[in-house]
Amino acid sequence: MTDSVDHEFRRDLVEVAAHRYREGRLTRRGFIAALGALGVLPMMGKGAMAQASELVIVNWGGTAADIIKEVLGDTYTAETGVPVVIDGSGPSAGKIRAMVESGAVVWDVCDSGPGSAIILGQQGVIQPIDYNVVDKSKVIEGATWEYGVGNYVYSYVLASNPKMLGGNTPQTWADVWNVKDFPGMRTFRKSVRGMLESATMAMGVAPEDVYEALGTQDGIDAAIDKFRQLRENIIVWGSGSDSQNLFLQEEVSMGNIWSTRAHLLKDEMEEGSFTVTFNGGVLSPGVWVVPNDNPAGTEEAMKFIAFAQDPELQVKWLELIGSGPANPAASPLVPDALKPWNPSSPENLATQILYNDEWYAKNQIAAEELYVDALIN
Amino acid sequence: MTPGLLTDRHRYWLLILPALAVMIIFYIWPLVNILGISVTEPEPGLGNYALLAESRPIQTSFIITFRVAAITTVFCLVLGYIVSYAIYNASKRGVGLMVALVLLPFWISVLIRSFSWIVLLGRSGLVNDALMGMGLIDRPLRLMHNEFGVLIAMVHVMLPFAVLPIMANMKGIDRSFVNAARGLGASEWTAFWQVYFPQTKPGVLSAALLVFVLSLGFYITPALLGGGRVLMISEYITYQIQEFLKWGTGTMLSVTLLVATGVVILAAARFVNLRRAFLERG
Repeated sequence: MTDSVDHEFRRDLVEVAAHRYREGRLTRRGFIAALGALGVLPMMGKGAMAQASELVIVNWGGTAADIIKEVLGDTYTAETGVPVVIDGSGPSAGKIRAMVESGAVVWDVCDSGPGSAIILGQQGVIQPIDYNVVDKSKVIEGATWEYGVGNYVYSYVLASNPKMLGGNTPQTWADVWNVKDFPGMRTFRKSVRGMLESATMAMGVAPEDVYEALGTQDGIDAAIDKFRQLRENIIVWGSGSDSQNLFLQEEVSMGNIWSTRAHLLKDEMEEGSFTVTFNGGVLSPGVWVVPNDNPAGTEEAMKFIAFAQDPELQVKWLELIGSGPANPAASPLVPDALKPWNPSSPENLATQILYNDEWYAKNQIAAEELYVDALIN
Repeated sequence: MTPGLLTDRHRYWLLILPALAVMIIFYIWPLVNILGISVTEPEPGLGNYALLAESRPIQTSFIITFRVAAITTVFCLVLGYIVSYAIYNASKRGVGLMVALVLLPFWISVLIRSFSWIVLLGRSGLVNDALMGMGLIDRPLRLMHNEFGVLIAMVHVMLPFAVLPIMANMKGIDRSFVNAARGLGASEWTAFWQVYFPQTKPGVLSAALLVFVLSLGFYITPALLGGGRVLMISEYITYQIQEFLKWGTGTMLSVTLLVATGVVILAAARFVNLRRAFLERG
């Protein structure tokens, strides 16, 4: 079974949380909660011991477990009296399926991805979202599915260092491919995720037509060829922290990185030496799913998902780790200074496309090999 | 059990039994599984091995691996020979200190040594800053995130592996042969090249083998300093397994690298005394 959830992104959020802790932006308690949820601290078995009167929220340890616990979890407990337990063991599609099939379901609400939500829904192991309880209008367009609903968003964005470029920053992906006017090294991800889109846009394809263009082998080959042309100027990033370091050390003057890492860099780099544009960005949502026969019951799980749609809570997520609110109503509440960095602000949404999980499920593996070939051969 | 049944030979086997068991359970058995996965996933057969002939990135990655290992070996031998020669033939007093300096890097992890090179070779690293400060260059040189950076760091990491066998070899050489040659009228160069150097050949060959074989499996240094474009096989294996979830291809590459390394060692066995190269170095 293809599991198209981007596990690496979720793991990266753990590191972002650690980073915030070092900067003093997370409390020690929050950080320890995050580690616990990650499974770094011995909190194993907590999920397995969950009673029916609790709600077990499962994430990748990284969705700033402190926020889920302190902001979402504790506030939910205060309002409803239902204790919330965080399990950070990583609800991959495979694990959810195995758990449901074994008949011993201990998870209530899981942080998954669109691809997994679709596949698990088809396999009949997760429950349809009850849109009578969960408000569809509180989720950005394109992030609701029958079996899953968006809970936060992040983007692949064009980041650059104006200082290294003499103030002349790239505004489009075509600029990134223009080595003459925009000198310096670029960084792209070691994997094609979120990258082929930018190469396609650099060829002048309109954002909304990107996946259509990539739908043919010719389209994929053309995008790959763009990387071949640029490769002398490419340094790849493997982990989120790689991408951050490349900017910090001024090894690259621009690149395609996660908006959550950009969120950190804006505070770490000198004034005027870091900027992003969401123009041509690729937006990807995190998605809540509910396994069949979850211990707390369907109603409780749906109530929690609806509770987490609270715009103010979602703005806190953005402030702390840079994941954008999935609820459009949250955008006006975002402090002005943060607005340009919010992947889901109306201005930024207008210039981005939505990550296409179906395309990746079908084409990723073949494209990865071509991508490696373009970079080294 | 009567003592007579337990011959000396049996007792030795009993002694190594725990170590052997650990080897079998934690090394041989997983290795057999790796081999198994490489011919069963995604479907039984030799499909993964066919990629060796079909896949361009895999072929390129093997070429890069052997090229980087070969260049590293050449530089390590030249530098290692000079260092060893200096240690044994230049000053008598400094020997201890010089050997210690060669061994020192052994105690520091490869990871840290590779990271130090990042600090030195970066765009705003020490080397570039110094050169710019002296006005020798007006824009930073690209010293890493390419094959050049990988080679510098690998030569640094591998140098002790070249120095030690050569040094051990030189230790056993009697200087009086060279003195005799000089006494018979040979120039300094002739005495070195015709009398001294041939005696160091076994050391040079074991050093070459050691450095080359270890370099083939290098992972951390190229991954950190290669910028993703110096894709050696070890890094490609992690790509296959972590990014593409293609265990079949990843394990096939592991088995192929193992076999290739084995072939190199077997071929070298014709020229090098393996027992001496691997068991009695230093």
